[in-house]
Parts: sequence; structure tokens; C-alpha cells
Amino acid sequence: MSEDLALMSLTAVAKAIAEKHVSSHEVTRACLHRINEWQPRLNAFMAIEAEAALKAAKEADAALAKDQNRGPLHGVPLAHKDMYYETGKVVTCGSAIRRDFVAQTTSTALKRLKDAGAIRLGSLQMAEFAYGPTGHNSHYGPVKNPFNVERVTGGSSSGSGSAVAARLTFAALGSDTGGSIRMPAHFCGVTGLKTTYGRISRFGAMPLSQSLDTVGPLARSAEDCALLLALMAGVDPEDPTSSREPVGDYVAATAASIKGLKVGVPAAFYVDDLDPEVARALDETILVLKREGADIVKVELPDQRQLTAACQLVLAVEAAAYHKRWLIERPQDYGSQVLMRLQNGLAIPGVSYLEAMRWRGPALAAHVAATSGVDVVITPVAPVPAPTIAESDVGNSPGAEAVIQRLTRFTRPINYLGLPALAVPSGFTKSGLPIGMQLIGRSFDEATILAVGAAFQRATDFHAKVPKAA
Amino acid sequence: MTRPSAKEVKAISDTAGIVVDAEVANRIANSIGPAFDGFAPVAGTLPFDLEPASFLLVQGAKVVK
Repeated sequence: MSEDLALMSLTAVAKAIAEKHVSSHEVTRACLHRINEWQPRLNAFMAIEAEAALKAAKEADAALAKDQNRGPLHGVPLAHKDMYYETGKVVTCGSAIRRDFVAQTTSTALKRLKDAGAIRLGSLQMAEFAYGPTGHNSHYGPVKNPFNVERVTGGSSSGSGSAVAARLTFAALGSDTGGSIRMPAHFCGVTGLKTTYGRISRFGAMPLSQSLDTVGPLARSAEDCALLLALMAGVDPEDPTSSREPVGDYVAATAASIKGLKVGVPAAFYVDDLDPEVARALDETILVLKREGADIVKVELPDQRQLTAACQLVLAVEAAAYHKRWLIERPQDYGSQVLMRLQNGLAIPGVSYLEAMRWRGPALAAHVAATSGVDVVITPVAPVPAPTIAESDVGNSPGAEAVIQRLTRFTRPINYLGLPALAVPSGFTKSGLPIGMQLIGRSFDEATILAVGAAFQRATDFHAKVPKAA
Repeated sequence: MTRPSAKEVKAISDTAGIVVDAEVANRIANSIGPAFDGFAPVAGTLPFDLEPASFLLVQGAKVVK
């Protein structure tokens, strides 16, 4: 067995298994070996299902020996954020309330990956009910950043970011309601795709905010994200909000040249109050894209603070409505910060919520008009690299909401507008912490942001950096 | 649209069926207040006929560069 197998990309390992250069069993053992080594330090997994994974891997190998290939992920071991329902499995949603919840259905996203041949390594840690941007969890402990275990992973897909970065799983599903895929991608140095609202079915995924929730992957490259998106995208009769927009050829898009593509750089907001190392990484990323043939264009975006505020109003009300029964019956079973944030939704009158919902169309139209001259917009994911676990452990203190708002101020406008965004590793601080940029596309045009992300990754190796065991 | 006071937060929460004490109401008011401030320039300005689902129409429209 070689541990190096776990270091391969999803695309490469799937091909190697399909062509019988390696067995699913060998690959699964390599992942389990790394999980055993890293889990005590990272706390990335909620549950490790070693025996079942090895059994499934043997079955995958036996099927392949009979030339029965189930699909593009045949025999590839994966683990996902513990909020995707799978019939018969405990799905905690990172909470004490659902500690023993057994799912009675399987989410469409998981089913599509399973139908493509993926096997299950276990489930990944997350912020309680996906409502936290740092990676803290008062019930199961914080997830640690593999590049520095004193630092946060970002959330809410904390286990997904940590496990993909440490090469414990080839990829992982996350979810993004206010930045929950892009934040861990930025802090942990992996590639994360927040999809267009409606692009991937949300059926069987724990809800937080029905107007903002999106499903998407965290992986080691844009190419790997494209492969997963291609398998999961498309209308689902089980989810009435899933879109009938045609599904693109995302994998082919990652091989495309970006010569002549126009990349917009916001003149304000996303370039204000940046940590100097994040600012430097943005400048250097722009230079690389220019070198690859993209045209760089300054764009004047509408006031993003209003979008952030509208996002907060919508999210707070919808989350509070989902949780109302438990807020009445079991408030003591929430962590203090999640309880505080759920209670925030109680203070917003129905008229204010509906105004924020009614403004969504005009706000998106204004964004489309402002960016009509460019193909993608580039911004940092967050103004700072990963803070320490200690300094960001703000609980329900008076300043907690301000800390959360500062971390998520570049991601929330995109959720409100429902746009796709790809977070790509774009550098490291002097102390070795990853920095990510987000490439924001047009609605349902994941293909273009994946093309730009892949071109950037062909020219750089930030995404290939593997954290070292201490 | 102005941010709600702690007293108003308590009244709204109680009406929603979740009773909060004065301290929690005060914390909520401080926590959510900036969102009201941020949205204030938009609140009360939207045209009468604006349908919330217009978002989906804009989302599905083809962009002409």
C-alpha cells in the first residue's frame, strides 16, 4: 500500500481505478491510513466507517474485474459534510439535537455520486446546523486547520475543508448559504465551488435558508470540482427549486483557454480593508490571469453593503422559521452562538423580510448590468487569512455578530444574488496560511469560472501544496 | 426602516411564540441592528408591482455582452 495514492487528484485516482492501475481497496486503505494519522489532530470526521468502506471497495474491485464499471467515480472513496441524508445513516447536522437522527431518505446529490460509483468513507464535521463561519462547534469541538492546527478551518463546511486539504478524502460535499464552502476553501487551501442557486438539487440536504442554500463540492482542483458538478447538476423532481437550465460540459471547460476572457476587478468594497498579504495575493493572481491571456477590467459594482444586509435579513428569518419548534422546546440543546443567531431572526418583521426578498430581482439585474462587460469578477474570499481558534471563539458575546459579519462580508452578497463562485487557492502568507480568491460568474455559467480556475491552476501550484504532519 | 429597539424585539418575539427576556432582547437588537441600517436605503423604496419571484426571471435571462 502506498500512502501516495491518497495524494492523487480525484480525476487521476478515478481514472487509475477505472483502468485497473490501482484497486479501490488499495486507494481506500491509503485514505484510511491518513485518516488514522490525522484525525486525532484535526477532528475533521464525524464518523469513520472503515470496515464498510473496505467492504464496498472490495465489491467495487470485484465488479470491475467483471467489467462492470458503475460510472466516473467507480470505487472512489469520499466523505461528505454530515448534513446530507442517506437512508439508515445517522446525520447529526453538527448538532446535539440531531445526535441520533437516522435519515429515512437519501439526498439527491449523494445519490448521484453513489450512482456514479463513489463509496463512503464516513461523514465530516461541520458547524452546528451549518450556521457558523469559523469551524467552531460547541458539541463536537473545533475542527483544526491542517496547515496550522491553532487556526480555524472556516465554516460551516469545516470538516470538508480540513479533510480535503489533509488528503483524507479526494473531495467532499459542502453547502454554501453565506460562504460555507468558500470560507473553508480559502482558509484550508482547497478549491470550493458555490453553485448557482438551483443548479444542484437540495433534496435531502439539511435546510438552513431555502432562498440561499446551495450544494457544492470542495476538492483539490477546479478540474475535480467540474467532474463532481457534472455528476450532480440538473433538475430534480424532488426539489421544486432545482433549475431546468441546461447543464454545461464542465469538464471540457477546464481545458479551455482563457485568452481574451474579461476578468473584472471591483473598484471598491472587495479591495477595502484587506490584510496586506491578502491584498498582495489578489494583485499576484490578477497578474497570473493577465499572463494567461485574460483582459483585466475595473468594474464599479452596486453598493454591496445593502446586499450583505439583505442577505442577513433573509437568512435570519428563514433559519429561525426552520428552527422555531426546537427554539420553543429545546433551546438549551443549542450552542450559545447558534441559539443567539437563530433568535436574531425573531426580531425581523415579516414586511422587512419580504422587502429583502422582493429586492432580489432588481439587485441581481443591477449586478448583471454592472458586469455586462466582463466574463467573471475576481475578489478575495475574505479580508484576512485564518484567525486563531482562540481569538475567534466569540460564542454569544456582544461582539460576536460583528466578527461573523467581518469574516463573511465578501461572500454573503453572492449568496443573495444566487450567483456561482469558485474559491481557488491563490497564495500563502509568510507564516504558511493559505489565501483564496473567488471567481464570481454569471447565473448558471459555472463553466466559465471553472475554466478560469483551471487555467490559473495550470499556471500555479498553490492548490497542490500538501500540509505536513507535525 | 429603523432598527428595532430591545422593547420592540421582545414584543415581536413574544408574538411569534418565543418568549425572550430583556437581556436576550437587548442582545438581539444590537446584533441585528446593523442589518436594518444597511438595508435602510432600499426599504420603503420598492415599486408597488414588484414580484418577489422576479429574481428567477432575472436569473434565467440570457446576458448580452
